[in-house]
Amino acid sequence: MAGVGFRRWAQALSKGKGSGISALLSGCRAASGLSKDSLPGPYPKTPEERAAAAKKYNMRVEDYEPYPDNGEGFGDYPKLPDRSQQERDPWYQWDHPDLRRNWGEPMHWDFDMYIRNRVDTSPSPVSWSTMCKQLFGFIGFMLFMFYVGEKFPAYQPVVSTHLNARILFSLFFCWCFFLTVTIFSSFKMAGSSFF
Amino acid sequence: MADYREAPLATRPKTLDPNEYFNLSPEQRRAEEARGALRANLKRQYQLQLNNPHRKELIEDPALTRWVYARGNPYAHFRPTNKTSLLGAMFGVVPLFALYYIFKTDRV
Repeated sequence: MAGVGFRRWAQALSKGKGSGISALLSGCRAASGLSKDSLPGPYPKTPEERAAAAKKYNMRVEDYEPYPDNGEGFGDYPKLPDRSQQERDPWYQWDHPDLRRNWGEPMHWDFDMYIRNRVDTSPSPVSWSTMCKQLFGFIGFMLFMFYVGEKFPAYQPVVSTHLNARILFSLFFCWCFFLTVTIFSSFKMAGSSFF
Repeated sequence: MADYREAPLATRPKTLDPNEYFNLSPEQRRAEEARGALRANLKRQYQLQLNNPHRKELIEDPALTRWVYARGNPYAHFRPTNKTSLLGAMFGVVPLFALYYIFKTDRV
């Protein structure tokens, strides 16, 4: 019983002419803004309703196609082609150039998704099969090579560290010896009275 | 390029689109002219308002108002069907119980 009553109240709210608080209180709508017949309505069932809806949305009757009536909440809103705004002519003088839209033009249901910052349906420069082959080919190749590297590791050759230290020390000793010999002989040759 | 296949949900380039080359019958052209007439009428209305020197307020776009109203009031045309009930259950009811169960049982 309470469930039925609650549903009735919710339906009355949603079907009411008002919006928000005004619907709750008075059931009336403000007189400013569009009139009821130029706002979206229920799904059009007769051809006259379709013609009126097409006229309301500034479309030709042949172009007007509402969403299928399956209770998903579209009403008589027109089903426009799913094209992003990026696809529209960049050189035409739109009324709103950043949105590539003219004033009064019917907006797609997902208009805020199809703006140029977001989803883009424009044609890809390379065909789909080429893109798939390149991407998955690269990823597959890299995965395969990493797998092979795991299976057959390859390391740098390294001598023992003790032996390495002895080699380096003896090299340094030789260098010091030759340095002193060079300095000593250069002094000798210059005939200095150092010694 | 003859075997160009577009990405799913994307369009073909204009030069590969058959519409460019085959939709040239007089009916098609009349349809395009009618659409152009509608567009021109809207342009005229907008330009008159835009260039009116006595205008002090914003130019209201009824198409925008209709879009906002339609997006904001879907429940007026909502009907519980199989699909909508299933969607409602999947998004509203199942996560509630599933997340409760997961948070209660899967503890670190």
